Formats: sequence, structure tokens, C-alpha cells
Amino acid sequence: MADTIVKIENLVKRYKDLIALDHLNLEIKQGEVFGLLGPNGSGKSTTISCLLSLLAFDKGNIEVFGRKMTPDNYEAKRNIGIIMQNVAVFDELTVIENIDYFCGLYIKNREERKKCVQDAIAFTELQDFTRFYPKKLSGGLLRRLNIACGIAHKPKLIILDEPTVAVDPQSRNKILEGIQKLNAEGATIIYTSHYMEEVEQICTRIAIMDKGKKIAEGTKDELKKMIKNTETVSVETSAVPADVLEKINALPHVYSACCTDGRLEVKCSGGKHNLIRILNVLQESDLHFGRVFSELPTLNDVFLEITGKALRDSD
Amino acid sequence: MFLHNLKYEFLQNIRARSLILWLILFPIILGTFFKVAFSGIYETTTVFSTVPVAVVEKGSNENFRQVMESLSEGDDALFETYYSDEESALKLLEEKKVSGILYAVDEQVSITVVSAEGGTSAEGIRRTIIKSFVEQYNANRSIIMDTISHSPEKLNDVVSELSEDMKCNENIPLTNGNHDNMLSYFYNLVAMVALLGSDLGLGIAVSSQGNLSAIGARKCCSPTRKIVSIITSMLGCIAVQTVCIFFSISFLAFVLQVDFGAKLPMVYLAGSVGGVLGVSFGFAIGSVSKLGVNAKGTVTTAFTLVCCFFSGLMIGNMKAVVSTYAPWFNEINPAAVISDSLYCLNFYDDYTRFTQKIITMLVMSVIFMLIGFFLTRRRKYASL
Repeated sequence: MADTIVKIENLVKRYKDLIALDHLNLEIKQGEVFGLLGPNGSGKSTTISCLLSLLAFDKGNIEVFGRKMTPDNYEAKRNIGIIMQNVAVFDELTVIENIDYFCGLYIKNREERKKCVQDAIAFTELQDFTRFYPKKLSGGLLRRLNIACGIAHKPKLIILDEPTVAVDPQSRNKILEGIQKLNAEGATIIYTSHYMEEVEQICTRIAIMDKGKKIAEGTKDELKKMIKNTETVSVETSAVPADVLEKINALPHVYSACCTDGRLEVKCSGGKHNLIRILNVLQESDLHFGRVFSELPTLNDVFLEITGKALRDSD
Repeated sequence: MFLHNLKYEFLQNIRARSLILWLILFPIILGTFFKVAFSGIYETTTVFSTVPVAVVEKGSNENFRQVMESLSEGDDALFETYYSDEESALKLLEEKKVSGILYAVDEQVSITVVSAEGGTSAEGIRRTIIKSFVEQYNANRSIIMDTISHSPEKLNDVVSELSEDMKCNENIPLTNGNHDNMLSYFYNLVAMVALLGSDLGLGIAVSSQGNLSAIGARKCCSPTRKIVSIITSMLGCIAVQTVCIFFSISFLAFVLQVDFGAKLPMVYLAGSVGGVLGVSFGFAIGSVSKLGVNAKGTVTTAFTLVCCFFSGLMIGNMKAVVSTYAPWFNEINPAAVISDSLYCLNFYDDYTRFTQKIITMLVMSVIFMLIGFFLTRRRKYASL
């Protein structure tokens, strides 16, 4: 069984009357890409800040690398890389100077540091921009510099707090590929985001958070199995009469059917050939239809079913 | 690690354009403005210059001529004398080529000067000099004439006594320093540059606290101890501030030719210690956690301006006013202490008062630094 890298037990954080973290429990194993998914304000960043001993908490216990995490647990800090939501670099230092400066906070040996800096530059593909000042970099390149500053010292645990906010799709893909590469090289990753597609794409295990609580945890398949919905069929059509909707609702495995704005949406729970049965009902009723979609459940469906609201609506 | 941090602290501060703008360009601009605005005020109001006079004679004036010749000779001549007839003398007076006309009639001297109305202060001083000379000359002449008439044997004693009286008016300066009152503006300018270093100190506090900046959070997450991080930041900022202070004083002393007196190296020392005071003050303000970064910046700038105002940067005699009503304030006002140290250097030959001011600055710096360390030592934050 893999070693536990991070263990959070019964963590409570209050801001006066607001409970930011409500008895949170997490266990992150070595080699995982652990995703913390939730809308803004759900407590993801607060969890990370408590984990890093930046933020005081009211109750609970946090262990990192098997030792209690405190501000002076320098051994643990030496093995943690942090990539903040806000870019944390000096505007007055060039790309290479920024990476060297932050790497120097972890590695004293100059030769070793030099190699680490070059590796970080190569990893983030910033070779052509080493003499650039941050203000001359695009948003995507700046995010890559932010990542390079956080990983240059080759940490065993890398924490990325919403690293793709306000990043173009091309840079976002590069960042996500980079995270998977870091994981393949042996680093354990904690990845927070409110973009469910990203979390689904890269995370091996996911905890969904809402209002400071962990509402679900598991692999993406395990999470999807937790909910009733297994398939959503959408059909572009004109208005569907009530009797036809009744027929669809009466089909096996269908638990919800509704038509809004020329789109019929049917939710199914288990079973096979749901799509064919629905189309047969429409044909028998002489209803014309256009494009047809069959979608498997997403993490948004998981969130929607558990909380009664969509992830995106919560932002 | 210490040198690594120090190197980058120095680099990032020396490249901070806005800061350099304030610490280097600001004293250049304000110093040049002061120089242009105050140029010649001291010379025209304080430094003595030769007084041009016209002399119109009637009868025999051999003694008067001798006196006038002795007063018109040498580098520090009192008068520049033009002998002429009355008509030419009046024309010279009208054209303001002379400040007055001396009429000498058989050794008795009288005076004609232009009206006091509308004249400059320098003209007023010249008229006073001429008038005083005429009064003293006539008085001494009467005494000597009386002595010759009534007690000729006492003539030597009387002449000697009159000479002694003249010695009583001799000016004995305390030091060889520059007594130009306008210098206080330049002292305060140096004090302001030193205190503007508070922005650098503020930067130290912001970049070392996780609840104030992302860089601070990143530093707090690193295995580098906070005390090491803060000390290297402090040294880096002080180094940059010292460079800026040296540049500013050099510009004032060598480009604008501001006369700081004979102890210029000590002026650099006072400026540098003032810079340490400025940086440590900014660090203390920046460490007060309740305020936001922008509010802290506003507080440090406002504090610097208020200190400089009460030190006399905007109104020359403000320090004297404060000294009358709240003398203790001048002892704790950083700007006043810095400018006083420069004043002491120029006006006192020994270093006692200067040393006192330097020690005061160092004590204040240590207090501010301790406040900063105490407030930033916090391990975890209640909120980020």
C-alpha cells in the first residue's frame, strides 16, 4: 500500500460566524494526482493554506510526510512545491533570475541549483524567454514561469492552486500535460480547480467540496457511480406534447424527461438501448427531430445531484 | 543562501523604477528648484558687498579724503568712491550707480540718499551703512576736534579709545561653516530622501508576509527562516538606499555646488544613517497587519511629508516654531533629527552634538526594526 503523504483530520476553520472548513478529512497517497474540485468559496484554497501552515485553524490535525505540519517543519517544506493562484514572481527580476531566486530558498549548493533551474526552464519550455522580465511575458508564459518557480527544487509534493485561471486553451493544455509529466516523474500532486474537465482529465482521485465540506471522494468512475444518472439523452425537436412526454417517462430506466427551448432532455439510470427506445417513441408519435446526443454523466452531474446545483452556477 | 538572497534583494530594488524615480530624480528636481529659487538670496541679504558712493567736496577735506581712501582699498573695501561735482553725483544717484552722495565741506560730512520707498532690502542695508558711517565719522571728528582744542595731550589716548570701540563691533564667527540660512532647505531635502526609503522598508514587510502578498506566501512556504529572509531584505534595501543617498548628496554638493561645509564625508554618513532610519520606519509600518498594502503605502508617504513639513522643508522657520511650542517633537521627528545632524556638522567645530544626533537616529532605527520583527514573527495568519 502506498505511503500517505498528506493526512488531514477533522479540520475546522472559522472566520467569525462563517465556517470555511467543516470537519474536513482527506488522505492523499504517494504518486496520486489528487483533485480538489468545488466552486469558488467552497474551501479549496483555505484547505491548501492550512496544509501549508500559512493559515491558523480552529480544530483538527494535519500531517505531511508523516509529521505534523507546523510553520517550522522545514524538512517538510523543503519537499513541497507550491504554485499559487496568483502569480508570485518579482517584476524586477528576469525569468531565469526569478527561478534561481526561488530555487535558492530551497537549495544552497550553487551547482545543484544551476542544474535545477535549467531543468525547470526546459520543463516549462521557457528557453527562449530566460532574459525576459515578467511584464514582457504573455499570460500563459507568466503562468509557466510561476510553475517553474514552484517546481525548480524538484519537490516530492506539488500543490497547484487553480494554476490555469485566465490562461488560453493552448497554454492550459501545456500546463496540464506538464502536471502529468511531473507525476510520471514521481511527484505527488494536489490540484485544486473549479474546472471539472481539467480535474477529470488529470486527477487519479478527486474530492468534491462545497461550503467547506467534502461532499464526495473517489476516482472519477467511483464518483459517477454514486449518482442515479448513467446517461442523458438530448434530442433537438419541436414542442413535445404532454402525452408523448408521459410515454417517454414510462420507458424502462428513464427517471426524468422534459422539453425546454426545443430540446428534449431524458435522464436514464442504468439499462441499455435507452436512445433507441426514446427515438422509437418520437417516431411513433410522428414528431420530427434533429440532432441527437447521448452523454455519459460528468462531475457536474455528480455535483448537481448531490448539492442540487450545478458547479458552474455556484461560481 | 544569505548572499544569494542579498544579491537578488539588491537587484530587484535597484531595478524598481518608481522607487529610483523618487529616490534619485526627486532630489535632483527639488534640489535644482531650491538652488534656482534661493540663488543669490544669501549674498544679497547677508553677505557684505562694497557700497558705491559719490563724494562732492567743498573746501579743504584732507582728513576725510584719507579716511575715504583707507575705506576704499583692499579686498574688503567698505566703499567704492566716485569723486565728482554735485550735478554728476545726482545723476549717478538717479541712475542708481551709487547708493548715496557724501557732501564734505571743510571736513564736515553730510549725506544724500534715494528714498527708502520701493528700494530692495540690499539697498536699505547700503543706505544704513552710509548713514552709520557718516554719523560715526562726524561724532569722532567732533571728539577729536574737542580734544585738540581743550586737551591736546590726551589726543593719543582718545584715538586709541575710539579704535577700541571699533574692535567691539568685530564679527567673531563660531565656526568656519557656511551660515547660509537657505542651507536648511537642502538639509531637509536630504532628510526627505532618507525617509523616502520607508517605501523600501514597506516592501520588505509586504514581501515577507503571507497575508500581504503572493510572494510573501511563497517565501513563508519555503524552508528559509523568516529572520534570514528579513535580514537579507533589510540589508539589500539599506544598500540601495545608501547608493541613492550618496548620489543625491553628491549631486547637491558637486553639481549644484551646495556648500555643506568642510565635513562632507560626515554628511554622507549622516545621510546613510538617515536612510537606515527611513527603511526601518517603513518596515515597522508595513508590519502592522491590520492595514492593507495601499493604506500602508499612504501612511508611510503621509508620515514622511508631515515629518518633513515640521522639519522645515516647506516653510523655512517651522522647526523654530516647533522648538518654541513643542521642543520634544524635534527630538523625535526623524526628519528633524536628520537635518539637525547636518546642521550640527556645519555650525559646530566639535562632533558632540553630531554624535548625539547619529545615536538618536540609530536608536530610533533599532526601535522600528524591533517593532517590525515583533509584528512579522507571526507564524500563521488568521486570514489570507
